[in-house]
Amino acid sequence: MFLNPQILSITILDIIFLIFGTVVFFLSLQIYFKWDFNSSSPLQYKLEKQSFLNAVIIKYIFYLKLPLFLFFIFTLDSLSDVITGAMCAAGVIDATSYGMPLFILKIANIYLFGFWLLIHHIDMRYPNLEFTKLKFGYFLVIFVLFVLEIYMELALFNSIDISKMVSCCGTLYSASATSAISSIFNIDSHIFVYIFYGSYFINLLFYKIKNAYGFTLGNIVFLIISIVSLIRFFSPYIYELPTHHCPFCILQGDYYYIGYILYITLFAGTFYGMVTLISKSLDKQNTNYFKISIIFSSLYVLIVTTYPIIYYIKNGVWLN
Amino acid sequence: MIKLNNIFKQYISNNEKIIALDHISFTIAKGDLVVLKGASGSGKSTVLSLIASLTKPTSGDIEVKNTKISKLSDNFASTFRQQNIGFIFQKYNLIPNISVKDNIILPLIPTNPDELFVNSRANSVMKLFNIEHKQNIIVRNLSGGEQQRVAIARSMINDPDIILADEPTANLDEALSLDFIKTLKELKDLGKTIVVATHDPLFFELDFVTKTINMKNGHIVE
Repeated sequence: MFLNPQILSITILDIIFLIFGTVVFFLSLQIYFKWDFNSSSPLQYKLEKQSFLNAVIIKYIFYLKLPLFLFFIFTLDSLSDVITGAMCAAGVIDATSYGMPLFILKIANIYLFGFWLLIHHIDMRYPNLEFTKLKFGYFLVIFVLFVLEIYMELALFNSIDISKMVSCCGTLYSASATSAISSIFNIDSHIFVYIFYGSYFINLLFYKIKNAYGFTLGNIVFLIISIVSLIRFFSPYIYELPTHHCPFCILQGDYYYIGYILYITLFAGTFYGMVTLISKSLDKQNTNYFKISIIFSSLYVLIVTTYPIIYYIKNGVWLN
Repeated sequence: MIKLNNIFKQYISNNEKIIALDHISFTIAKGDLVVLKGASGSGKSTVLSLIASLTKPTSGDIEVKNTKISKLSDNFASTFRQQNIGFIFQKYNLIPNISVKDNIILPLIPTNPDELFVNSRANSVMKLFNIEHKQNIIVRNLSGGEQQRVAIARSMINDPDIILADEPTANLDEALSLDFIKTLKELKDLGKTIVVATHDPLFFELDFVTKTINMKNGHIVE
């Protein structure tokens, strides 16, 4: 296993998460199958106390997972210095078969843990804890993905072979790549621009009419379209290089770490957009999730839009 | 008003199970003054803590003002307590280095009320318990009886319907204890429901006490 201080930190935290997560998993099992709020039995009082402890542990795992995700990206990026051929995190991700599935799973888990947090937040607003069973039942499901993520992360670090040459991001994110991503380079980039702005304006429409179903679906689409259009259309303007489409190099200092701002605004916007449906289904109170989502998404759109415009003003040409 | 139904409370101390209350039940009606009588360790203070929702039973139900407070989570229990219950402690639990008035208004702080309301409530309770003239005095400079009056005034600042007093005269001499009992009578006349946990014999023969509950080793005894 390839070890450096960052990998060691992530591995230790993974083990700690796994221990606490497993404890919470078994307690959640008991809560899920034996919860009866109307009962005044010793078991029910015990479960009520346990449910608060459980919730605190899950909350802290999530709070630590958020910055840890950024640290994970940072680690992959720093590993590119020791892996032959890798220029950024993209090359490290491609170095093993675990890389890309793990990366997608990590993002999905952040969303899923975020949804758990929202259900917990709603549950705490009602004196009869009506969503406790639901939230711990839901945790039982996401725990499986959580364990899978830890397994894949350890497997990734274990299978990195620094003597093996890998492809750089310039190859991975191009029409010549062998992965599925290469197919987007065979489509006219302007189509992605139309779909990107189109899906944003559809979200704006759902925001205006406060339609949670449409807004949630719209945000799922917007998340995928945003990442694809970032790779296909916007990234060359950020790099000021027509052939460079990497979604990871923008996280580097050479580009003022703009990638972190872009991804945080995109993920926050789409997360709050997706939770509007959960909020509408479970909560009776009005929330600002629509507004928060649209603010973050608009910020994302504004930032990515700025790059081509500035480039055009400076150079008088479009890159694609 | 207050209903305890088959309450069992067990503590675990040094791996040893201690039964504080063994399946006790009783009810207290609105406006009652109930004395919980018994020696130390009989379970009186545990009953008060349960009524105030400061702790949860091991099993059984507690209903206060038609709310099952034993099932409330901590945040809801705090709000309920803040709105409905005033607590007078044996050692007063005052902050010694701030003034009488500042101690009295403490329970209002979490609700962030406006200053006019705070002053009006503080003046009203200080007047009621005759400590208006001491409002700017630092609490540690007060006598035991005066500190007791400050503690009572503080318990009344939210105008609660229920007042719980845990050994309120344990640190007072007989004259001051009789003063306190007079104050309790006044509170009862105001329509407050009062529960006093005590082993002070002064409380046992009072004509305005609605009910005396005798407790021994976590049981109610006749």
